[in-house]
Amino acid sequence: MNLNILIAGVGGQGNLFASSILAEYFTNQGHQVLAVETIGAAQRGGSVVSHLRVSDSEMYSPLIPAGKVDILMGFEILEMLRNFQLLSVDGSYLLNDYKEPTVLCNLEMDTYPSDEMITAALQKSGKKGYIIKATECARQIGGSLLTNVVMVGALCQLSPLFHRQEVRQVLAGKSPPKVRDLNLKAFDAGGSLVSGMS
Amino acid sequence: MAKKEYLMGNEAMGRGAVEAGVKVAAGYPGTPASEVLEYASKYPDVHVEWCINEKVALEITMGASLCYTRAMAVMKHNGTNVALDFLMHLNYTGVRGGLVLISGDDPGGISSQNEEDSRIITHLDAHLPVFDPWCPQEAKDMVKAAFKLSEKTELCFVVRPVMRVCHARSPVKLEEIATSSKEPFFEDDRSRFIMSAVREPKAGGVLRPVLRHKWLNEKQMELLQIMADSPFNHEEEGEGSIGLVTCGIGYAYVKEAEEILGKKFPILKLGTLPLPRDKVVKFAGKFDKLVVYEDSEAVVEGLIKELLYDEGIKVAVVGRSGFLPKEGELLTTVVLKSLATLYPELEKLIPETASLDIKIPIRTRTQCIGCAYRSLLHALKLVARKTHGVVAGDIGCYDAGSFLPLELQSTIYCMGSSIPIATGIAYSGSKQPVFAIIGDSTFFHNGVLGLLNAIHNAVDMVVIVCDNRTTAMTGFQPHPGSDTDIGGKPVIAIDIAKLVTAAGATSARVVNPYDIPEVMKALNKAAKEKGVSVIVASSPCYLLARRTGDICFTPRKVSLDPDRCNGCKICIDYFGCPAIRFADEKATIDQATCVECGMCVYVCKRGAIT
Repeated sequence: MNLNILIAGVGGQGNLFASSILAEYFTNQGHQVLAVETIGAAQRGGSVVSHLRVSDSEMYSPLIPAGKVDILMGFEILEMLRNFQLLSVDGSYLLNDYKEPTVLCNLEMDTYPSDEMITAALQKSGKKGYIIKATECARQIGGSLLTNVVMVGALCQLSPLFHRQEVRQVLAGKSPPKVRDLNLKAFDAGGSLVSGMS
Repeated sequence: MAKKEYLMGNEAMGRGAVEAGVKVAAGYPGTPASEVLEYASKYPDVHVEWCINEKVALEITMGASLCYTRAMAVMKHNGTNVALDFLMHLNYTGVRGGLVLISGDDPGGISSQNEEDSRIITHLDAHLPVFDPWCPQEAKDMVKAAFKLSEKTELCFVVRPVMRVCHARSPVKLEEIATSSKEPFFEDDRSRFIMSAVREPKAGGVLRPVLRHKWLNEKQMELLQIMADSPFNHEEEGEGSIGLVTCGIGYAYVKEAEEILGKKFPILKLGTLPLPRDKVVKFAGKFDKLVVYEDSEAVVEGLIKELLYDEGIKVAVVGRSGFLPKEGELLTTVVLKSLATLYPELEKLIPETASLDIKIPIRTRTQCIGCAYRSLLHALKLVARKTHGVVAGDIGCYDAGSFLPLELQSTIYCMGSSIPIATGIAYSGSKQPVFAIIGDSTFFHNGVLGLLNAIHNAVDMVVIVCDNRTTAMTGFQPHPGSDTDIGGKPVIAIDIAKLVTAAGATSARVVNPYDIPEVMKALNKAAKEKGVSVIVASSPCYLLARRTGDICFTPRKVSLDPDRCNGCKICIDYFGCPAIRFADEKATIDQATCVECGMCVYVCKRGAIT
């Protein structure tokens, strides 16, 4: 087994929690796990990228080298696009249809790419991928903070690499009691969002 | 099999220190090294302290070491600069209990103002031994070894992890925690621990600094022997006419490149300074050329050149002095590119990268939605604009006020520089009023000295202290203005307003930064005063308050009347809350991200936001 997952989002989206669930799941499955996150200056709204590497042999660089990402999870559109060139030849993406405007876009000094431009660019790239409304789904369940869990739920439904129930168990174990039920609901909702897609 | 735990590099180093029996651990928070002490603080037998600054932390750990207690100081590279003065003395005296300094570097300047390589000051300048780990497991092993060797050699050992090692997470072996059998005890040895330009009667009247310098130089021989046998250096066989020398994280990237290319290169993996001289000489002798992969300056490259020159060995040595990029992180991509330059047939094996035909806007940092400093920065921006004032800035969350849209602060250097820079501007003869804005943790760290100097010299300036009672930027560590320590134990919170009043500031006004009219009033009054006027803008960090249940403001649901909005953009250009969006010549409130602080109501001069 050799798998590289990159999660790209903005601060406050629970990027690290999502990565830690997947890391614990793969560790439980008996694989080696190596991870790192790049958080820059740790304020909300900045870019946050988690690298998660899974293998059965020794791994070296915690950062996934360019062209070696198998699964690119985008919690925010721009952040996924920013890391898109890291995808491998056969890599695929799972994108949350959510835009967090940048400061400069708000100032009209920069332009957030339009939906048409994004769709066209992704199509032209020839990469396989899924676009889901995870944040919208999370808000319906209990708040945008559940976006990360919806995304993980969707990933586990789409990819045959996951035993859904076991990831769910890891999630239950790692969730603070106060939010456990909500997290599990979000996880299931993520699965339902994509059922029939793969 | 030893038990393994999935740990971050910083936690692994904390664990290493705990297993080595560390008793006193001190530091100042700073990315990438903050979690080392946080991990150690979970063990009640260890005294762990976030100190006022890094120099104080290192001095405290030395005090403990003097009593034969194992101690550790933790900081980021900028902090090691602050501690350097003391480091350049403790290297001459040596230590008693094992003393380890962890200095976390940030190649690429991802979370720092520079990308300094702290091996230069700790090894080339202070002549102390340095370990440079490549992964969390080795970082832990190195910390443990460093304690032992520090006691053996009586020298402080430095561990210099880079950010990717500090933040990497992987399974790390857990071992037993050592119990110390030694009773702490202080005994005098004045010829060592009184550092002074005094003549030594026992040494025929030679000045003590010269004698201690000699002691340090003689220690280098002992270190060479230790590094010659160190498990942290080894050679790997491979194909090719060029030898690859890796240091620290360089090993991870070169091994990764090997995996990608499906090749084995001859590698000399190094993790220690001083270098294992014989290993280097033996390795170099096999090749016409060596490439040194290190983050981030050409430190080992230079040392190898010097060594080979001394040994009369003619081998080309290249690396970060120009063959590899001189700036930025090393990364696997950099290694792959360099190998393709050396072996052109490898070019085709470099992984293809995906391309995307779209322009991607950059993301700049700003205050969190709900942050008290956004309204404070807004008020200061208005006053500075009106008075044509210059604002000197400092390190902390509020530094985002220097970027677009506010572009408030005109200078930012290192911890505490704001007030002295403002002082110099005032002395220059410029007639512009001067303001300095500094956070509470930064104020205590080093800012207070510049302030005392300015008060003493009656410099006309306004100093704004952003007092959110925590070191928010690095993850909410306490500082001398906090009322609990790292373990949650009550401590004495130093009152900034009382402190500056006692020092003789012209005025010390405590304001609520969420109250824009109050802040404006205070700023306008202070700007008219002679001498140093201090404004303490006091409110808990909003992010932290949400966790602890503290109250920052009374929530106020705001709405924007599009008919009243004339598109003036003051709420964007002079406030810049990310929950306010702007499109089609009108501002809108994004209710999903708005936290109802209500500040924008004061910002909009047309009353469109209510």
